[in-house]
Amino acid sequence: MADQAHRRAPANQTEENPSANNHAYEELRHLIIAPEQEELADIQERLDDRARRTQDVSSVVAEAISMRRDQHGERALAQALAPTVQETLRESVRRDPHPLADALFPVMGPAIRKSISEALRGMLESFNEALEHSLSARGIKWRIEALRTGKPFAEIVLMHSLLFRVEQVFLIHRHTGLVLSHVVARSVATQDASMVAGMLSAIQQFVRDSFDSKNEESLDSLNVGELEVWIEEGPDAVLAAVIRGHAPSDYRLTMKEALEEIQQRYSSALENFKGDATPFLSAEELLTRLLAAQHREPAAAKKPRAALAAIAVLGILIVAYFGYSIYLMVEWSRFLHAVRGQPGITVISYDREGNRYHIQGFRDPLAADPNTLLKQAGLDPQNAQFDLAPYYSLDDSIVAQRARQLLHPPEGVTLSENRGELRVEGIASPQWISRVQERAPYIAGVASVDTSRLQNSHLLQLNAPKSAIESVILIFPIGRAELEPGQENTITQTQKQIRDIIAQANRLGEQTTVELTGHSDSTGIEGTNMLLSQERADKIRAALIRRGVTSANLHTRGVGTTQPLRPEDTEENRRLNRSVTFKITFTPTSSGN
Amino acid sequence: MLQKKICMLGSFSVGKTSLVRRFVESIFSDAYQTSIGVKVDKKVVRVNNQDVTLVLWDIHGEDVYQKIHMSYLRGMSGYLLVIDGTRRQTLEDALALNQRVIQEAGKVPAILVLNKSDLVDKWEIDSARESELAVAGWTILRTSAKTGASVEQVFSQLAAATLAE
Repeated sequence: MADQAHRRAPANQTEENPSANNHAYEELRHLIIAPEQEELADIQERLDDRARRTQDVSSVVAEAISMRRDQHGERALAQALAPTVQETLRESVRRDPHPLADALFPVMGPAIRKSISEALRGMLESFNEALEHSLSARGIKWRIEALRTGKPFAEIVLMHSLLFRVEQVFLIHRHTGLVLSHVVARSVATQDASMVAGMLSAIQQFVRDSFDSKNEESLDSLNVGELEVWIEEGPDAVLAAVIRGHAPSDYRLTMKEALEEIQQRYSSALENFKGDATPFLSAEELLTRLLAAQHREPAAAKKPRAALAAIAVLGILIVAYFGYSIYLMVEWSRFLHAVRGQPGITVISYDREGNRYHIQGFRDPLAADPNTLLKQAGLDPQNAQFDLAPYYSLDDSIVAQRARQLLHPPEGVTLSENRGELRVEGIASPQWISRVQERAPYIAGVASVDTSRLQNSHLLQLNAPKSAIESVILIFPIGRAELEPGQENTITQTQKQIRDIIAQANRLGEQTTVELTGHSDSTGIEGTNMLLSQERADKIRAALIRRGVTSANLHTRGVGTTQPLRPEDTEENRRLNRSVTFKITFTPTSSGN
Repeated sequence: MLQKKICMLGSFSVGKTSLVRRFVESIFSDAYQTSIGVKVDKKVVRVNNQDVTLVLWDIHGEDVYQKIHMSYLRGMSGYLLVIDGTRRQTLEDALALNQRVIQEAGKVPAILVLNKSDLVDKWEIDSARESELAVAGWTILRTSAKTGASVEQVFSQLAAATLAE
């Protein structure tokens, strides 16, 4: 191009140069305008040369895009670029899906996870909500409503728990009243859109005509029971949203914005509309954005938990109540069983009024207190009324207790009772022993008294000196009543022991009797031996009296050979049979202390 | 799908409502006609191998109590002017109305429907008058809402006329 421009100038010269004047003029002209010509040629070249033009545009394209975006808002540019970008993506995927897949990979995972968790959460929420509603009084009411209207329960729940829901959106051609686009929320039953749109337009016009409204003002909402129809009119298009419940006022603004966008985007299609709605297919996405809903309880996640907790608490309470009732019944029956087995108490009958038990029967004054038994069983004495008449129980343990109360047994003495026989065991003073023998038969329930294992405490003290004396044997020669020599010390010692024991027993209130028994061996005739043995005992008695023993305490008897101390098989044993032995017994003095 | 707004006009009790009742889809009650003066119905017809949805604005017959809301005619692609063949007055009224319609909505395809063709013995409109109208440019169809005669034809013919526009 540049070459052509240079060549053009000389060529012109040759054609239009007949004279020298002309030549000079051309020279001058060339000098004056040559630079501009070159510049023009350069610009021409820039415009014509595709490569250079591309280069020029490339240097400003980014700035131009940002400038455009700032001037007209993001949407216009986005709208302009959208088809290209979509086509680019489609082409990219068609050629090789991998680069795009790789680029999207980092965002796909989280997006899928989010979507799945949202879906699960939704499911859980609806389950919880259904659970909650199905258990409440309101839920039952709704169930009845569902039965009555034949609608599914879920729909009834949704209907009542919705704050608002935009169920349908109509895009209507204003001039003809024909529907351009229509979207419906899920599970909403609809009528024919074209008829509804027509009727809405008719109503609009009716209102406008009837009330002679100025400035093309029009109806902007209709109320039909629970439904509201919000209408937004533009110059060529009308948006109508069918809303269940009460939408917030800012939803009106959302509608206005959507309508403005539609008016802008489809201005020529709206103007030239002849009944073919195909150009408005793409508006569906815009209308779908208007299908909004808000539930009565946005914090739905919390409530079901509360409901579940309430159910759990209720369940626990019910279980606890029944458990406690059963526990009480068991405890009561155990208690009644225990009371029946209690010595001294006889239950004739019992009945129950609500939580209160009424028990009738007999009770020995010595028997356990039933109220104490109740407390021990962990039951409330308030809940029991005892009606027990007093009586004398013949129960062994009660009889033993009664005997104990009356006899005041000293320490070391035990009383036990077995079918009317009172057994007394241990060591007691002879005074107490005599009292037992005297009084025990009068105790109610005591038929006989066994004191065989009851020991006199006094006698136990005297046992040692008694056996010492009773072990003494005084030996006599054959056929004679004088002691063998060498026994003076023994007799002296024995008389001392006898005097001591008499004194000691006397202090304990016991009268001592010392019986001296004379023995003889089998030599000689029996009659003589009997006399001889008596004589020997009398001899020792006299000797003791002589040494100061009170005669009243001493008794004698001769037994001859009838009670030999030893079998007479040796001389020594025969000798021991020629003797006097002592036997000591005590009897309580009447005044004993 | 193609949609067309069609108005149905005519005097009171010429049989417009009967005409639509049996042959079109309807969801609204007739009460609308007496309250707001119009009831919208729908009729799908097949013309030149394509379905056309006719959105029918059945406009209440004009009488002393109620004037037609002319704004209901806005944006219509065509209309049916329904006449009771047994009552000549309905034709005159319809033609008068037609003048106002053209004034309001411009010239659009229209069909003059002579209804009650089943009662042709009692007709007050003779064939001379009919040909006069035809000469004046009217497309005329005789129908009977009772027998159904030509009703479908009325709708498809009007639909075809609007498509030709």
